[in-house]
Amino acid sequence: MAESVVGVGGGLAGLVAAWRAATVGQRVELVTQGWGALAWHAGTIDVLGYQGGVLVAAPGKAIDDLGRRHPDHPYAKAGLANLVQALAAFGQLCGEAGYPLEGSLEKNWLLPSAVGALRPTCLAPASMIAGDLTRGDPMLLVGLEGYQDFHPELAATNLAAQGVQADSIMLALPALRRRAFLNARVLASLFEEAEFRAQVVAKIGNAVGSVARVGFPAVLGLERATEVRAELEASLDREVFEIPVLPPSIPGLRLQRILRTAIESAGGRVHDGMSVVGAEVEGTRVKAVLTEAAARRQRHSGDHFVLATGGILGGGMVTGFEQPPREVVFGLPVETPAGNGLAPRFFDPGGHSVYRSGIRVDSRLRPLNARGPRFANLVVAGSAIGGCDPIAERSLEGVALATGWLAGGRSVEET
Amino acid sequence: MRGFQALLVERKDLTEGTTGRYHGLLHSGGRYAVKDPAAAVECIEENRILRRIMPDCLEDTGGFFVTTPWDDPAYAEKFLAGCREAGIPVEELSIGEMLAEEPLLNSQISRCFRVPDAAADSFLATHANIESARHYGAKALTYHEVKALIRENDTVVGARCLDLVGDEEVLITADLVVTAAGAWAGKLAGSVGLEVAVVAGKGVMVAVNHRIVHTVINRCKMPSDGDIIVPIHTVAVIGTTDRRVADPDHYPIEPAEIKLMLEEGEKLVPGFSQMRMLRAWAGVRPLYQETGTADTRDVTRAYTLLDHQRRDGVGGLITITGGKWTTYRQMAQVTVDRVCEQLGVERECRTHAEPLPGSEAGTNHTLGARLRRVEADVDYGRLVCECELVTASQVEAALSEAHSIDDLRRDLRVGMGPCQGGFCTYRIAGMLAAAGRPRLEANVSLRDFLEERWKGLRPVLWGDQLRQERLDELIYLSVLNVDHLPGPSTSRFGPVAYAEATDG
Repeated sequence: MAESVVGVGGGLAGLVAAWRAATVGQRVELVTQGWGALAWHAGTIDVLGYQGGVLVAAPGKAIDDLGRRHPDHPYAKAGLANLVQALAAFGQLCGEAGYPLEGSLEKNWLLPSAVGALRPTCLAPASMIAGDLTRGDPMLLVGLEGYQDFHPELAATNLAAQGVQADSIMLALPALRRRAFLNARVLASLFEEAEFRAQVVAKIGNAVGSVARVGFPAVLGLERATEVRAELEASLDREVFEIPVLPPSIPGLRLQRILRTAIESAGGRVHDGMSVVGAEVEGTRVKAVLTEAAARRQRHSGDHFVLATGGILGGGMVTGFEQPPREVVFGLPVETPAGNGLAPRFFDPGGHSVYRSGIRVDSRLRPLNARGPRFANLVVAGSAIGGCDPIAERSLEGVALATGWLAGGRSVEET
Repeated sequence: MRGFQALLVERKDLTEGTTGRYHGLLHSGGRYAVKDPAAAVECIEENRILRRIMPDCLEDTGGFFVTTPWDDPAYAEKFLAGCREAGIPVEELSIGEMLAEEPLLNSQISRCFRVPDAAADSFLATHANIESARHYGAKALTYHEVKALIRENDTVVGARCLDLVGDEEVLITADLVVTAAGAWAGKLAGSVGLEVAVVAGKGVMVAVNHRIVHTVINRCKMPSDGDIIVPIHTVAVIGTTDRRVADPDHYPIEPAEIKLMLEEGEKLVPGFSQMRMLRAWAGVRPLYQETGTADTRDVTRAYTLLDHQRRDGVGGLITITGGKWTTYRQMAQVTVDRVCEQLGVERECRTHAEPLPGSEAGTNHTLGARLRRVEADVDYGRLVCECELVTASQVEAALSEAHSIDDLRRDLRVGMGPCQGGFCTYRIAGMLAAAGRPRLEANVSLRDFLEERWKGLRPVLWGDQLRQERLDELIYLSVLNVDHLPGPSTSRFGPVAYAEATDG
């Protein structure tokens, strides 16, 4: 008989756990407070970009080494095999949704960022691949006047300084002049309109020159992204690629929609706008989590629970003045470095150790206290797990996928 | 205004020093009514004048002096007497009336007095002053650091400066040199062998991310640490501490000072210590003393004019020091009076009578004014900084005079809101690249500014503000990969970080 799984947290880890649990026939309920962290992410799957500040060329091999040297790293807990499975399964899901991801653990891509830095990432949506900076052929970067979150000249100047031939153009479009607020979400809708795309293509005109590839801010459609890009490529007769920009992230939202659709088609439910305010526990078992929405309290009971509330950014950990991070739902023990964990400089190459704070888990992702697993039916996924700084090492999505995948499979193993 | 050929030299940007690092209080004088009656009189006189000449830079918040359970109840009567003596209008409110106006205040407060304090935008006020000065023919050189005054025999004849932008020495000669270098005055006088004992009294302030009060709230007691909350624009600032520091350029913000602000704030507004803190900063007061004292609060806040001809037998140099922001105009007046005397001319001061540029209409700044202005602006859709409502056209117009994004911040308030540069820093860097400004190279400007924001965030990074800062990290590391851009990580226009704290 199907068991019930309650997940908390609408970021990548929570969505992946809920998706996996739903596809193996569990009754899944995912409660989320808001949009989840994917709306902030670049929308690529960063598995491991830097180690000790040094660029990682082959993330798979580096993770193998990392697991041996840092047994507390979430990758060491989840194991490389889970990451491999998760990447394959998630890649397949996105491909079937018509939004293929490309890449492998053998080699990080180096793709342009919106300042023109070389961004290492493991899997990227097909929409970004023509930006590959190891190709060496020139590119044209396109900005849209009035849109503040992508500055092509800045990116092109920095790419040029690193040996990439890049030019830029800023388009003044009549359709944008009337717009009061231009953010990524508004532009993504506009790009889904053929008339707007025609204006863009016409405005670029001859500026496209002889380059083989044209880069845009990552706002080329939300629901019909693949189609939008294909049409732009056809009209421009060039390869088109996207560059991640400031939040809200359209590529992140695309991944979010794919996962939500997958959860719901497998019979799972996602409840938005519910803030978890507490839990009911009995000995070593979690009975229910309590949420508050629409001015009333609700109880979500289940056989298994997945905690994917994130770290400090996601809100799963909260600190106070001279108060170490506290886990907000179950009050689980949090491992945190000594001191305030804040380096003297923002761009300290070692990062800020406070962000390594998190829950210590066993190899089945159960939260640990001094005596062992605190709960038998609770697993933790994503940035709520301590032991690494996923932003500094560029492993945010990889850690979420590997641990989310394992967490979603836990209920299967337990039954 | 008095017809001299005047040149102002500032080592960095205007308001980069103490002027831009205070809580924004226009004193009524109530603060000094008991402790320093002379300073109280100066304050109320200048309060009236500044309300006349720079209303656009002031918000007429009014001020309360409140007796909390932690304050000596006997002080209130001394306070009342002191105010009357100094000519400060004062009115007692019932606690019910006080709570009706400021519902978040501690209901255990036993007495409340209203005085004409106000909130001042010292950035705006400085710009209005310099604009007026330029109108009258004065020149200002920013990013010109005086390395030493030049003395020939018994006369100071000018200054040797370093142009930080052009990286070259600039020699300036003048009939008279006035140093108004605040806590740095001793250093300048020292360069020509004169001794001016100015103590640097560090004050720490913390901004709360909400405008928790609309009135300046003072504790009704002898001045001490953490006894005032000033509502300024959309936030409220609690201040301040007073600690002697040896070097006005390098000092820490101690965790104990932050803790004290939270504790003292809690006494005025219950729940204060749980609120989201936006940023902390510190500035150094120039406190003049002829003889050494240990506690800097015992040094007078009234200003001191040193005529070095009379004091030291060295001509051509006047030092004006001490004082406070509220009395800046009066300090300038007495200084220029002395300049006139030394140069043998007789011209009347008019700074008390003439409104500053931007204040001609005679109306005060109000909380909603900025929003109203920007909503009516055709450029509303192009907000570069959503927190502080700064449009792209404003940034474009200010670019030509800026050497760093921090300069733009002082002019426009970009990056001063809750996200502390999370979004606007990239946007401005992009505008710099588009404007093709090599001296304001986009990459270093971007990194300098994020480091500058970090230094004031670091002392208050917990709770929601830590979460916000982590989002900024996600943007600049994960999404943009700024930390792996080529080029220098910081420039000489970059921030001077606070020294490492010693007590935590």
